Formats: sequence, structure tokens, C-alpha cells
Amino acid sequence: MTSLNTEVMEEGFDPEPGKPEPVKELAGRSPTRIAMGRLAHDKVAVICGTILFVMVLMALLAPVISNAFGLYHKIGPGQAALTDLLEFDGLPRVGPPLHPFTWDHPLGIEPGTGLDNLSLLLYGLRTSLFIAVLATLISTIVGVTFGLVAGYATGAVDAVMSFVIDFLLSFPFILGALALAPIITTRFGANSSTLGRAEFLTLVGVLVLFGWMGLARLIRGQVFSLREREFVLAARVIGVPTRQILFKELLPNLVAPIVVAISLALPGFVAAEAGLSFLGIGLSEGTSLGKTINAADGYYDKYPLYLWVPVGTIMVLVIALNLLGDSVRDAFDPKTRR
Amino acid sequence: MLGFIVRRLLSSLLVIGLASFVVFAIFYLGPSNPAQPICEGAGGRCTPERLEAIEKQMGLDKPVVSAYGEFMGGIVKGREIDFGASQYDCDAPCFGISFGTRTPVTDELKERIVPTVLIAVGGSIVFLVVGVSIGIAAAARRGSAGDRLLVSGSLLVSSVPYYLVCLLAWIFLTLQTSLFPDTGYFPITEDPLKTFGGLLLPCLVLGVATSPSYARYTRGQMVETLGDDYIRTATAKGLPRRTVLFRHALRAAIVPIVTIFGLDFGALLAGTIFTETIFSIDGIGRWGLQALQAPLDLPVLTATVLVGALFIVLSNLIVDVVYGFLDPRVRLG
Repeated sequence: MTSLNTEVMEEGFDPEPGKPEPVKELAGRSPTRIAMGRLAHDKVAVICGTILFVMVLMALLAPVISNAFGLYHKIGPGQAALTDLLEFDGLPRVGPPLHPFTWDHPLGIEPGTGLDNLSLLLYGLRTSLFIAVLATLISTIVGVTFGLVAGYATGAVDAVMSFVIDFLLSFPFILGALALAPIITTRFGANSSTLGRAEFLTLVGVLVLFGWMGLARLIRGQVFSLREREFVLAARVIGVPTRQILFKELLPNLVAPIVVAISLALPGFVAAEAGLSFLGIGLSEGTSLGKTINAADGYYDKYPLYLWVPVGTIMVLVIALNLLGDSVRDAFDPKTRR
Repeated sequence: MLGFIVRRLLSSLLVIGLASFVVFAIFYLGPSNPAQPICEGAGGRCTPERLEAIEKQMGLDKPVVSAYGEFMGGIVKGREIDFGASQYDCDAPCFGISFGTRTPVTDELKERIVPTVLIAVGGSIVFLVVGVSIGIAAAARRGSAGDRLLVSGSLLVSSVPYYLVCLLAWIFLTLQTSLFPDTGYFPITEDPLKTFGGLLLPCLVLGVATSPSYARYTRGQMVETLGDDYIRTATAKGLPRRTVLFRHALRAAIVPIVTIFGLDFGALLAGTIFTETIFSIDGIGRWGLQALQAPLDLPVLTATVLVGALFIVLSNLIVDVVYGFLDPRVRLG
């Protein structure tokens, strides 16, 4: 394998004139390790990473936290009677901000249903992150594979694959997603037991369907320039099978753009998922931050905390992911020097 | 150049043709049967025989290809549509009869497209003026505190999901403080001032939320151009700074911005769905969303997705062609 991985030295390394470089600095370091080192020194990246780590932990531990505090995110046994929790107009009887703070409901309870807001938040975060990670993963695999094949194949195959990319790019994303989602859902979620799973898969599927083309285009362009390089020609000459050339020779050289694409796709998918749920297309069962915002936007003056918690969470999550993604891009970009 | 245009035109036509077929087929073969609500709503019991009769009358029993042919024929030369008990004369371009309102989709499309176009144009004016001028100012003072503030600030602003910006602006600026008049679309023929008031906030929000990316992009282009030799020459021969910036640098830097703008504008015309939904403006995007409420309004959905795809493909095409004229370096043979 090759070339790119060895000779790049730490950027910004500026030996004092006259002094010989320390010998250990000459050791080859992969671009990925250089980028990681840069990230660790990037304050914004470290802060955002910490925030994200906490959020992921909260999402993962959602059931544990909810059980420990006796919170509930859906109606079930063990829940206090609705009349104890809600006024006649549906507003909560207990919890902040209308009533004193209580550890039973640190963020108050949802008007109308009497569910706990903290629990809704934790489970919503779980849904958002799970869907976004899954969509990112699948669309990355699809995009990379498509891009590799389209870039390496020439002629008709490339033309057809590029046409598919252009074709999907010309679809209006939100409208297309909105129109497709209920159709796929009704087709595969005939009874209520499979409905939840069908909705979940539809949401991920729609996000993937409209989310992989950018990366595929990027990879295709990179492969265009890489495939004429000596190491690829050499591999081809000694008879390495095409699949091996694609995934063993070309792919390792594309790590940087792929990592950057992943780190920027993740916040996009989080925002898109919440946006689709906000418009009412998404999971009908289960919680989602977008769904809560949709339900809460009428309570902005009567019960603002209910609206602010999910809005604030999505904002912090997406901003942190974006800033981290930007830092990752800088760290992997050999042109930026610091 | 001519060959390039012809080739682009052909591939665009192919994309539109395929997109329209896919959209049509998905909805046509979709699980919701449009005859069902009509059959149930017509009074009396909905027997399988009656359902079948209605399906046949509406042409829902035909294979998808011939139904698609009929649909496309309707767009080109109009057709007659049997619907329930009544018959409609649907003139070209005919997108069918809305299941919900029982009126020709084309008529409503003509009404709905006005606010969408107005928002797209208004928002574009805001983000072009604000974004590009901030970008130029930042590039001219490269490295200053203001420039650094812009770069980090724009990243932060563009990270916030757009619909949250809309939602918060709507809540704070119209509902709670009444700084802006109620949003919505009021026909421009009746009271232009009211139309302006109703679309003012949506356009501003759309423009302000989009401008950071234009500011960043303009700044990048300008910084690159300002480093060119001919700019140094212009400065050296004693031209005023303003002339150098606007007459020399901006002219070269604006080309990529125009192309990005073309693509964005096409996407905006395809339906600013969040803007329209949150500010309750009856445009294309909101129309598509409303058509999704059960029972699905298939002709409306097909029309909105199709019109959206058409706008995006057209803007791509125009950008490609215009790019060749704007930038002599990319005249492809």
C-alpha cells in the first residue's frame, strides 16, 4: 500500500535553526494520527467532544436514569393518576416552572399526558442519536461503495451511476421524504406490531436515500485522480482483483475525506430527523425531540420550559456536532497550519 | 458550447422524465386507494362492486405505464377526467383533479406558486445583500477582530437548525412582542401592503439564516482574488480602494457565488416547506404537506414533487450554461 501515509510530518513543526531535529520526530506518522493529535489540542473540539460524550451517555443510560428516579416516558403501570398531576386545563400540577422544583420531575411534566419531561428528553435524545448514527453509517457505506465503483469503472457504468446520483440530487429532499415516508410505512407496517419498526426503518431509509449522494460524488472525484497513480497501476499489472484494488488499495487513501464527511453528516441527520418529526412525519409511537417540539409550540407562554428543553437540546447537540465536524475537517486538511 | 448545451438539455430532459415517472408510479402503486373515501363519502353503503366501479371510472384500474401516459398527455394537451359523479374538463397543462378540493390542480398550483416565489425572491435579496456585503467587508479587513468574529459567528449561526430559527422568530417576534405583523399570504392583487407585511418576517428569517454561508463563501472567494497579481497592479497604479474592491475583485469573485445562488434559488422554489409551515403561508411546500393528511391527495403530491424537481433541474441547467458565459475559462467545446 502506499505513499500518502508515510512522508507527512507534523505540520507547524518548526525546528530552531541550527539545532538538529530530534531523531524520534522522523518516525513516520499516519495522517490520521496527525489529525488526532491536532484535535486533542483544539479547545473547541475538546469542549464539543465532552458535551457530546455526556449527551451520548445520557442517551445510552436513558432507561437506567429513568428507572432510578421513577420517571416514565410512556403511559403504563406505576404512574400516578393523571388527576394528581394535571390541572383541568391540562397544565401540570407539580414540578417547575409553575410549581416548586421537585426531584420527582426535575424538568416538569408534559401537559395533557402527564409524562415526565426529563424522561421524554432522554428517550428523545436516544431516538435522535440512534437514527442519526444508523443513517450516517449506512449512507457512508453506500456512498463510499458507490463512489469507489463509479470512479474506478469508466465509460457506461460510470455514466449510469453518475446519472443515478444526479437524478436523486434533483429530487426536492423534504417533499420527497415526506411523500415517501407514509407510503413505505403503510406498505410494510400493516399491523400495529410491525408499525413501530416499519416507521423506524422508513425514517432511516428515507434519510439514507437522500443522504448518500454527496459523499459518493466526493469519493468518485478522489478515485478519478487516485486510479492513475503508480501504486494502483502496479497492483493492476500484477493482477490484483478489482475488488481488492478498490477496498485494499484505494479505500485506505480515502480515510480523511470519509471521516470528514461522517463528522459533517451526523449533525445533518440529527437536524433532518428532528425536522421531519417536527413536520409530523416520523415515529408515531415513541418519543422524539422533534415530536415534542411540535407538541410544545403552543405552550410557549403558558409553559415555556416544556418547549425550551427539547429546543435547547437539539440546538446544543447540532451545534456541538457541527463545530466538532469543522474541527475534524481542519485537522484533516493538510493546508491548514497552526 | 452549443454541443455542451444540447447535451445538458438532453440529460436534464431525461432526469425530468424519469423523475416524473418514478413519482407517478410510487403514488399510483402506493397503498392508499383514492377511490375508497369517494365511495364511502357518496352516501349509501360502499360495496366492493361500487368501489370497483368508481376505480374504473377514475381510471385507477389501468396498468401504471398507460396511466402515466395519460397523465403526461394531460400535461401536454389537457384531458377530460371523470371523478365521482361529475366530469371535469381539465385544460393543458393538466395535473389532474385534487381529491381534496375537487378543483383542477393546475388552478391551485398557479395560486400557490405566487407566495413561494415571493418568499424565494425576498429571502434571496436579503441573503445576497447581507451575506455578500458582510463577506466583502470581512475580506477587505482580513485578520481583524471583526473578520474573526464573522468567521466563528457564521459557523455558529449556520449550525442552528433552520426550523428552530423560524419557530423562535415566529414565537418571539410576532406572537409575544408583535414587532412584526401577522405572517401569512394575503393576495397581492388585493392589498400589496398587507402582502408585504405578511411576508416580511419570513423573508427576513430565511435571508438572515442563509446569509452566514454566503458571507463565508464570499469572504473565501474575495480573499483568494485579492491575492492575485492584477489586484496588486490595480492598487499600485493608484486606483481608489473601493474601485479595486468592487470593480476588479468582486467581478472575478462573484462568478462562483452566482452559481451557488442559482442552485439555492432552485431549491427554494421547490418549496420552502419549514418557512411556509411555521409562518402559515399557503405556498407549494405547505400544500404538499397538507396533501399528506389522510386521505392522501395524490394529484397534489405528484404535482408538488414534480414541480419541485423541475425547478431544481432547470436551475442546474441554467447555472451550467450561464457559468460558461460568465467565466470564459470554462467554455466547454
